[in-house]
Amino acid sequence: MTTSTAINQRSPIEPQRVEQTRNKASNTTQATKNEAVIEVDSLNFSIKNNIILKNLSFSVAAGEVYALLGGNGAGKSSTLKTLLGFNKPNKGSVKVVGKEVSKALDFVRGKTAYLPESATLYPHLTARENVEYFLSLADIKKSDEQINAAFNRVALQQDAWDRNMQTYSKGMRQKTAIALAILREAPIFLLDEPTSGLDPVAIDEFNQLVRELALTGATILMVTHDVYGACQVANRIGLLKNGELVGEFNAPENGRINTEQVHAAFGDYKSRGN
Amino acid sequence: MSINNVSKVVLIAKDEWRYWLRSKLAVTVLAIGLILTLSSVVVTAITMLELSHTRHELQTTSDKSFVDQPDRHPHRMVHYGHYAFRTPAPLSTLDPGIDAYTGNSIFLEGHRQNSAMFADSRQGTALTKLGSLTPAFIVQTLAPLLLILIGYSGISRERESQTLSYLLSQGTSGVTLIAGKGLALLSVVGLILTPLTVSALFTLGTDESLLAVVSFVVGYALYLTVWVLLILLASSVFSKNSGSFTALAFVWILLCIVMPRVASTTAAIVVPSAGKIETDFAVKADLRKLGDGHNTNDPAFEQFKQSLLKKYNVNSIDELPVNFRGLVASESEAKQTEVLNQFAQQRMQAELKQTQVSRYFGWVSPMVAIRSLSMIVVGTSIETHHRFLRETEQLRFDFVQGLNKVHIEELDYQDDMNRNADAAATKKARVSADNWKILQNFTFHSDSALVRAHRSTSAFLQLLLWIAVLAGGIKFVGKRLL
Repeated sequence: MTTSTAINQRSPIEPQRVEQTRNKASNTTQATKNEAVIEVDSLNFSIKNNIILKNLSFSVAAGEVYALLGGNGAGKSSTLKTLLGFNKPNKGSVKVVGKEVSKALDFVRGKTAYLPESATLYPHLTARENVEYFLSLADIKKSDEQINAAFNRVALQQDAWDRNMQTYSKGMRQKTAIALAILREAPIFLLDEPTSGLDPVAIDEFNQLVRELALTGATILMVTHDVYGACQVANRIGLLKNGELVGEFNAPENGRINTEQVHAAFGDYKSRGN
Repeated sequence: MSINNVSKVVLIAKDEWRYWLRSKLAVTVLAIGLILTLSSVVVTAITMLELSHTRHELQTTSDKSFVDQPDRHPHRMVHYGHYAFRTPAPLSTLDPGIDAYTGNSIFLEGHRQNSAMFADSRQGTALTKLGSLTPAFIVQTLAPLLLILIGYSGISRERESQTLSYLLSQGTSGVTLIAGKGLALLSVVGLILTPLTVSALFTLGTDESLLAVVSFVVGYALYLTVWVLLILLASSVFSKNSGSFTALAFVWILLCIVMPRVASTTAAIVVPSAGKIETDFAVKADLRKLGDGHNTNDPAFEQFKQSLLKKYNVNSIDELPVNFRGLVASESEAKQTEVLNQFAQQRMQAELKQTQVSRYFGWVSPMVAIRSLSMIVVGTSIETHHRFLRETEQLRFDFVQGLNKVHIEELDYQDDMNRNADAAATKKARVSADNWKILQNFTFHSDSALVRAHRSTSAFLQLLLWIAVLAGGIKFVGKRLL
């Protein structure tokens, strides 16, 4: 069962649009299927009687940026938490690098760099101390030069490196967290609303960074409600409503996903509840 | 736990210390804790040393004053009395226990069993009550509060700032994180206990046994470990710092303030004991039935008189080869002591039962457990006090009967009967001051360390059960931490 077929079956709202998307991105979908690093298949998750995720299926390949787009309560963050093993699915399968998350938690977490919506890190520590501490916890040793290089790569201004992070803006904290992920050499990035609260310049810088990471082969899954940002950076976008994937958009080769199209679809879904 | 996990635990503990050292509140709390413990150890040690010195001086003065009395009628010396002072247990500098309330000396005299006196708590005005800021009080009551102030946000802080999910997502397990925070808090426990441990070790030079010192320090270490686990559990369960702090403050009030009172109140209800006035009346009533030992014609001693006449095969008391008044005094003292001992025994049994009931509350309050453990191990518990009372009572009885023996053997009955006739008769009814050298050297020793350790077993078990239950709870919560 290909991803597009699955979406076609689960998308009673706009089957035509999904069909279009599937045709446009058939090459990408094929590639995804072959190199899937993240595989979510028929995932169901509920808390008590409240259904959070319903029959959710998608996959993300190496070098791909996949954005899960949805309104508040659509199930975006729950999806990430399930991928990290924080939520136990009621049904379905969640695999990372071919391994079932629930059975290889340490392995999965070792491969994954997770950026929560508010990546505060430790405000009483400097960026360098934060990075050193988290690397030590992962039993990774990096020289000062390597850490400096990572800070440079994420464009974190040099005068902030040895300053307590309580003085940092959200953008600077995000950069530090990404620098840490780079130093951990994590091949998979899970980003939770990474650009919310950032100024436009910081958003551009962040998107640029994400694209660069994808070019190096990183697998990036981000959840967001920012249609524009998602279209700027993602190869594929999945629309999430009430825990269900109701549409998927693929970027054309060497192009970007049409913002208007996604916006229209997203707006349409939002007006119906999520 | 693997070596990798152990090194993670140490890393987390080090980072917690770094956080504390960079946080003014934590540094202030740590400093207050250390200063309080250290100063209370020093102040209490000096106070106890002074008291011990004073006691020694008073004992010497009292003994000398007794021995220096001139020739007198022996019964006057029975009423002159003297004091028995108890040398406090070496470790009591750290926990005066009930000694602070019961006192360390007793006035020994004929026909009466006096209560112990010179209790610290009865000396001075309310302003001097700061003296009760003993090391035991600091560690039992204030140290948990300090630990709460430092550690309540250990895990909840991570959750509030979203670093918890960040840490967990990077492969650090919940149990490892809690263990790291716990190690940091345990190191604070170590700091708090350092002055106490050093002071306890010093007592080894003053006849205290290593077993008692180790039991004392281990007991307090277990007690504070209970608090560390309680703090970690609350911090792990509550999603917000405020929730964790409020819960821990409530638990502290409940376990450290309310439960000890509930324990003693329950003990008093379950094992009712007569009040002092009520008991005094009952004792007086029973003593009256025994007759007046000062009056040889008291009908209560008629039978005794007849048995003596028969024993010595004489027709009147004048013919007795010994002083009849002395014999009556001795007989009366023996009978009175029997009655007094019965009442004392009843009171002590009631007190022991009350203490036992109170100690059962150690299963629900670690504060009650450590309080019992500490007093037992130190040698300032009710059991030790009762032994002091029993030993001093024996001392009193021997002392009074020793003087009665002098009365019987050294003083002629006729001279004794005519003692109030004139000055010469009074002088004649005296015995030599050499007889005042009957005083025994009284030295009170604590129970052996083995006895004390054995007695404290249930308190140790209570603390260990607390630790086991809390550790289980933390493991459960740690695996589900998010």
